[in-house]
Amino acid sequence: MNLIDRYVHEVGRHLPRKTRPDIQAELRSLLIDALEDRVGREPAEAEVIELLKEFGAPKQVAASYYPEGQYLIGPALYPLFRLVAGIVLAAVLGAQLLAWGVTYFIAQDLIAPLEALESLWNSIPSSLGMVVIVFAILQWFEVRPETEGEPWNPESLPEINEAETVKRGERVFGIVIGIVILVVLVFFPESVGFMTTPGGEFFTNPVIAQYIGWISFSLLAGIGLDIYLLWQRRWGTTTRIAKIATDLLSVTILFLLVQGHTAWLANHGSSGFFAALERLPDTIGGGWQVIGMEAFRLAFGVALIISSLETLVMIFRMARANLKNGYSPGALPPSRV
Amino acid sequence: MMKKEALSELHEKLTQELRRGILVLATLSQLKEAKYGYALINSLAERGLDIEQGTLYPLLRRLESQGLLHSEWNVEGSRPRRYYAINSDGSRLLELLTVEWRDLTTVLDVLLDGTTTRGENNESN
Repeated sequence: MNLIDRYVHEVGRHLPRKTRPDIQAELRSLLIDALEDRVGREPAEAEVIELLKEFGAPKQVAASYYPEGQYLIGPALYPLFRLVAGIVLAAVLGAQLLAWGVTYFIAQDLIAPLEALESLWNSIPSSLGMVVIVFAILQWFEVRPETEGEPWNPESLPEINEAETVKRGERVFGIVIGIVILVVLVFFPESVGFMTTPGGEFFTNPVIAQYIGWISFSLLAGIGLDIYLLWQRRWGTTTRIAKIATDLLSVTILFLLVQGHTAWLANHGSSGFFAALERLPDTIGGGWQVIGMEAFRLAFGVALIISSLETLVMIFRMARANLKNGYSPGALPPSRV
Repeated sequence: MMKKEALSELHEKLTQELRRGILVLATLSQLKEAKYGYALINSLAERGLDIEQGTLYPLLRRLESQGLLHSEWNVEGSRPRRYYAINSDGSRLLELLTVEWRDLTTVLDVLLDGTTTRGENNESN
């Protein structure tokens, strides 16, 4: 019987603590029943071994007592997990490349291949690990990305409308760029700026440094919305409103950035980008800072115009979609989120 | 054309799936009187259905946790044994599944025999 005791003990090691004693007691009784029925006397060790082999390996037997369908990340969430993991991987690689580029640009120092490999070795598993943890939590709370089990009417299927289909490429691009900028702003805030002279001193943009918190918040909101859109696959009223809100936030921040640059430039006696360029031969050192800041103001000004136009287009699309459909099925929230 | 081994593997897999499908019905049908695990295995085997012990015992636990079986330890015999019996919800489900099973076998008999009883009926309507 020693073998049976050892077998039952080993099965028990892999069973949940709560049900362990009861299942062990039943298993022992079932094994003895089987032996008595077959042998009818004190069994030989070979006979016990044969029976235990028939029952199966302890781990396998214990596993059969667990509820079915135990997953870290189940089939319903897996496609979204693959998508997000791929995006995060691309963004981490992009951010690393950018960081190496910035290091090279600032310090004129090419990163050593081994050092590069080491930093990738650290960053890739940790970022993928975070994604796994987030999805494992979603799995634990049984969050489902599809509205499975909910009543639906085929007539409510949305008309095929290109304007309502989320363009995956655009969203993925947005997420990758967003994460790259976010990583640079959060981890290398001092590297957002420009060289005052080729190979010379590096000037960190003081206006951007002032608004890093707001810029990061706006980027996070945009990334979150893009991931949600990839999941939903269609634009709806809710997502359009959210997009307009994040766009308005970007517009406001861009406006503040342009204003901040204008104030900085006014304090440094600049009268405009081209005027500064004309005066360049007469200035040294500080003149380059003014030109750099003028360039930043110009870039943010262009971004402000583009963002404002995009926001207007989004408001127009939402109005059109609502007038056309009365409501947008894409706006339905996912079940059990 | 599929290789012989692949065909045999597929045959085995699909047979297992078929058997797995009828396991609950077969088990519930034999538990109108309380039985312990090994006695149930024997009871099913005597009637021509061989089920692996590793499949049946966890199934009994699962059916109990789903509220279809009732179980208790009986210490009257030579040693304690856990006895399982169908409860009222289990009996109701057994009735429903039995009807379902009979309907299915009728339809499948028709399908496998190649006759078109239902189709002919529909046409006469």
